[in-house]
Amino acid sequence: MALAHMHASGMGGIRTAGDLVARMQFSQKMRLNEAKEYVAGKLKVSVDDLVDEVVMNELRQELDISTVYAGMGEMARGIESKFRIAKLLDMEINSVQRFLRKTNWQQ
Amino acid sequence: MDNQEFINKVIESVISGDDVEAEALAKQALENNMDPLAVINDGYVVGIKQVGDMFEVGELFLPELIQAAEAVKKSTTILNEAITGGANKDKGKVLIATVEGDIHDIGKAIVLSLLVANGFDVLDLGRDVPTLDIITKAEEFKADVIGTSALLTTTMVRQQDLEKALRNEGLRDKYKTIVGGAPVTVRWAEKIGADAYAENAGEGVNKIISLIGK
Amino acid sequence: MVVTRMGDGSFITLSKDEVRRDIEEGVADAVKRGKIEPLGADEIDHLVDICCRPQKFVSVEKGKELILSYDSGSLKITRLGIPIGMPQIMQLYERAFAADSLELAYVHYSFKPIKSIVPEEQYAVAETSLVTTAPLLYGAMPNLPLYTKPDGPCDNAAELLPAGKIDQARQAQEEAVEYAIKDMVFVSSGMYEAGADGIDFDTTGAAGDAEFYATLKATEKLREKYPDMAIEIGMAGEFVLGFHGQLEYDGVRLAGLYPHKQVKLAEKAGASVFGAVVNTNSSRSFPWNLGRAITFCKACVEAADIPVHANVGMGVGAVPLVMTPPIDCVSRTSAAMAEVGKLDGL
Repeated sequence: MALAHMHASGMGGIRTAGDLVARMQFSQKMRLNEAKEYVAGKLKVSVDDLVDEVVMNELRQELDISTVYAGMGEMARGIESKFRIAKLLDMEINSVQRFLRKTNWQQ
Repeated sequence: MDNQEFINKVIESVISGDDVEAEALAKQALENNMDPLAVINDGYVVGIKQVGDMFEVGELFLPELIQAAEAVKKSTTILNEAITGGANKDKGKVLIATVEGDIHDIGKAIVLSLLVANGFDVLDLGRDVPTLDIITKAEEFKADVIGTSALLTTTMVRQQDLEKALRNEGLRDKYKTIVGGAPVTVRWAEKIGADAYAENAGEGVNKIISLIGK
Repeated sequence: MVVTRMGDGSFITLSKDEVRRDIEEGVADAVKRGKIEPLGADEIDHLVDICCRPQKFVSVEKGKELILSYDSGSLKITRLGIPIGMPQIMQLYERAFAADSLELAYVHYSFKPIKSIVPEEQYAVAETSLVTTAPLLYGAMPNLPLYTKPDGPCDNAAELLPAGKIDQARQAQEEAVEYAIKDMVFVSSGMYEAGADGIDFDTTGAAGDAEFYATLKATEKLREKYPDMAIEIGMAGEFVLGFHGQLEYDGVRLAGLYPHKQVKLAEKAGASVFGAVVNTNSSRSFPWNLGRAITFCKACVEAADIPVHANVGMGVGAVPLVMTPPIDCVSRTSAAMAEVGKLDGL
């Protein structure tokens, strides 16, 4: 069912920018179009680009915010990419804040 | 007060769940030499049907439904006693249970309330009831209909077990069976050989009425 | 002729006019029950088109994609009997299933049993948050009946009500509400402290208005405690069952509320995302169910100020009530929810 929805209507998760738009919905209560526009603005791309695998895969590599490919050189993934996403989207991410607390890290 | 005005008051007493008023109207009907059967059918039955319709669309809720059912039960008992020749024929006996392994009983409680409101004699075995217990109690209760509820895809197979057990015991033709619950469909009912499927409590009552009428 | 299905998954054949008639009847049913606006003629035409396309799989027009969230996400893999841990399941969702968000859940998907294993679940959350990128929620059901006899300390309203003991039944539900709120806040706090982005209260209201009330109150407390926490309230059905009948939240009686009114209370309590649910009627056709589900969901979306994710799975959101929901119906509903319902997510 997850795959059916992904193909039928999903944004594409980290294949594209779906995870970033989802973040704005869950954390900032943004409606769909507002969240898309916010993320597109921060990434400096068009809203249409947000679901384009080609554009977004290249951009995610450039921004070093994780792609679906595990073996893509020195790409950040998991918590590493979330540090970058928090800065990119100008927001706090709970797991990143926990990481900072646990490592006694001063930003 | 003319007849229709009186009947409207009966209907209103049922909808508002006012058992005191409903009972008083039943007694008044007898004092005024009204036909008790007509008062039941045109007043109390119409009232409880309207209550069922309002419940179905979410305009009235289970506590009110139960209050209305109680009002009808008390009032029709008074009127039935006055009907010559014991015309108060039982509508039938229904045994209901949530199948073994399943602890969900809210839907069943609604079905139970609606069945009682509609004059059925109901034995509720509760939730998490083993198949053989259902059959044993149905025999003791002399049920006409066995209704089972299952909320889970993992427990709906117990409804199939019941059908098989009834066949194995040579009792299948003795009872009508009806199934319901969130994952249950008419396709499932047909597959396991149940006599009927109900989408919701209101449909359950109507299906049981037609099952017993067969 | 159009090959479509009944709500129980059986194939049926309808003419295009019959498809339209069923959609219109489904819309009318939602309008009558919810006292909401019907779909417009162009929207009904669009649904007819989606239902009548010969393709097995239908998808949205480019640019109309929405966000996907997953009730009990990790359990879907556990149920398949694939023996891998929760972090790995979440990685599968993220990297193989292209999930926009993730949801971790324990196999006994209710707050009461989870409270005794919070440290173990926190470990899974913390581990997962290190290796995944997408927003991570922890999901469970309020499941109020677990607090009633024989499974809990409170009297069982499902037994008291049919016996006519209305006041006792109401009191028993009110007692159960207090236990449920406590567990929901305790477990949710634990998961948030472990690194989850938030919590998903799934199948809310399955036990009626008291359960919805408990969820709203728990949401209120969590919002006060954690202002940035993501909180999704997902419902159990299109209207709140009046099992108590008198409970109010913010001066609004909860019993009988439909999605467009439920969402306003979820907002008031502090939810981030609202999960609208419309149950599938297995005795009606897929077009009937689709027309009905889209009408309810669209009204909810229009009333909402927070994102609305419709529940589109087995037996809900027009999807047939079968264990393996057919792709032709799932994809059509998915596309229709995005294009006609204008949902923020599913």
